[in-house]
Parts: sequence; structure tokens; C-alpha cells
Amino acid sequence: MDEDSELVARTKSGHASAFDQLVIKYTPRLYGLVYNMTSNHEDTNDLLQDIFSKAYKAIRSFRGKSTFYTWIHSIAVNMTLNFLKKRGRRFQLSLDDVDTSIQNDKQFLEATATNSPVREADLSELQRRLNEAMMKLSDDHRAVVTMFHIQGMPHAEISKILRVSEGTVRSRLFYANRQLQNYLDEFRKNPVS
Amino acid sequence: MDEFNDNEIAKLLRLKRYEQPPPGYFENFLHEFHRRQRDELLRQPLWRICLDRARDLMFKLDVRSLASYPAAVAAVLVCAAIISVKIYQQPDTTPVAFQSPPELSASGNTEREWTLASPVATRILRTQPLRRFDENIQTHRVTIPPRYVLDSVPVSYEPTFRF
Repeated sequence: MDEDSELVARTKSGHASAFDQLVIKYTPRLYGLVYNMTSNHEDTNDLLQDIFSKAYKAIRSFRGKSTFYTWIHSIAVNMTLNFLKKRGRRFQLSLDDVDTSIQNDKQFLEATATNSPVREADLSELQRRLNEAMMKLSDDHRAVVTMFHIQGMPHAEISKILRVSEGTVRSRLFYANRQLQNYLDEFRKNPVS
Repeated sequence: MDEFNDNEIAKLLRLKRYEQPPPGYFENFLHEFHRRQRDELLRQPLWRICLDRARDLMFKLDVRSLASYPAAVAAVLVCAAIISVKIYQQPDTTPVAFQSPPELSASGNTEREWTLASPVATRILRTQPLRRFDENIQTHRVTIPPRYVLDSVPVSYEPTFRF
């Protein structure tokens, strides 16, 4: 029995502290998922609370057919998508600060070293442009972009979480990439606002 | 002018991993989660709390077939019904006398006869009536208005008959 299965079994038998371990383990990852879908820190915080609350109440119905990881990610994605549908277009970016360790990121250094709009813009501008481009995507496309590009999940895992075929995941990613190219092309034409 | 290609898009998006909540956020999250759970629990109505407790108990007992809300509701209702019946059936412990002349029971179960040696408490709490009444008289609550001890001979003064 793996660690998650053991913690789930203990939670089902009444040990709430076992669920605490699951919360501690999955909060950072789920935070990233929800935050990059909403681009709003406050909404992310509220949603995370609701996600874990729902997971705790529903854990007895978790039969173990999928991993706990997949199960709780499904809950998180579905609740976030429902929230975004209700929120509609009325939103404000509320972005987290970019960790300073980005200065040591190889890809960031490459991006800023070359003669590109990225080099011209400061970090906050780049962050804003990226998030605005992401928010222009539909909720479903943003979900796959978040899971694939930002969280690094494989297509197979994403298809299980979203309960769609892998082909659907790939086609959504393809379409989303095209959209992002168009949106970021404006950034290229107008690098500094 | 080159456009962003898929690879460049992917690299840019990966940089979003560096967007992090304020320091201490994750450490404090669990505490905040517990606080909200307590607040939510306190806002629930009492019947809901009882229902959830009944359901938790059934899960602990591993009663899988009953692990459902309808069964939990049924269990709570059954318990409430049993408790109500018990309360209703509990005899009135107030010592009373009745207007109808007492017919002292001469029937056989001498082991159950009260004697002066019987502790007072048992005289009050016994569920069997001391006297046999006319069957048409159902209960004092229904037909005969109760009269109080002062109007009749106290129980302890009554002779007991042994055959």
C-alpha cells in the first residue's frame, strides 16, 4: 500500500490527522494548479479551502480506482472550472510575486539574453503579459495549458483528470498554443507598455 | 520577425512556476483549514451534526451496507422512537392513592410481595403495581384523577398479606 492509500485508509477509519498529512502534501501543487487557472491569489485561497473541505467530506466514497493524486486533482479542476464559469469575465488579476530564484533559471536567462521582447520588458511586465494571455484562453484550454506546460503533467495524466481522451488533450493544447502565440505576438510588437 | 514558437511558449509558461504565494502561506494553510472546518461545523443545524455523527459511527462499525444517508436517517429516527417509547412507558414515580377501594392482590407471586423490609426506594421505583385494579380502570392518568398521599394511608402502613 503506498503512502497516499495508507493515509486515505486511516482517514476513512476516523484519523483526521491522516488527512492533515494529505493536505500538507498536496497544497503546494494544487495551489499552483488553481492559481494559474484563476490568476488571482485570493480566489485561489478560498477555492483551495473548499477543495480540501469537499475532499474530506467525500473521501469515504473514494474507492481507490484511481490514485488519490488523480482524484483530488479532478476535484480541484472541476471546482475551479465551475468557479470560473460563475465568475465570467469579471475578474481582476491578483498575481503572486515572482520568486527571486527565477534569476537563476536557465530558461529565463536564455530568454533575457537573446534579442527578444522578453529581454526588453521587466519581470513584472512579462508576468502581467503572460497572465493576461492565459486569461484570454477559454477555461478548458487554460486548464490543459496549466497542467501540461506549468505543472509538467503528461498527457495521460491530464486525460484521466479531465476524463477526456488523450487526443482531446493534445488538440486543446495545440489550439491553446496557437492562441497564445497570437496574444504574445502583440507583446512582441509592443514589448514595453 | 520570428514568431514565438511552441518551444518558446512552453519556456515562458514554465516561468510561471516561480509565481509563489507570500512566505509562510503553506505553513499556515492547515491551521486556516482547521479553523474554517470548525466554523462550518458550528454553523450546521443540530440535526445535521447528529446525522453526520450517526454516519461516522456506522462507518467505524464497518457497516458498509448501511453507509448511506437514508440508512443514517432511518437509524436516527429509530433511536429517537425507541427513546420516546421508553420515556412514555416509564411509570409515574409520584406515590399516589386512588379513590377506588384497593383490592389487595392475593395472587400467588409471593416473591414479588412488598414487605416492610423492602427498601423504600424499591417501593417507589417498582414497575409492577402494588394493587390490582379493576381492568376497566386503565390508568390513573386516563380515568381517575390522582389523589395525593395525604388523603390515604401511606404505603408503608399497609399490611401485607402472606399466604
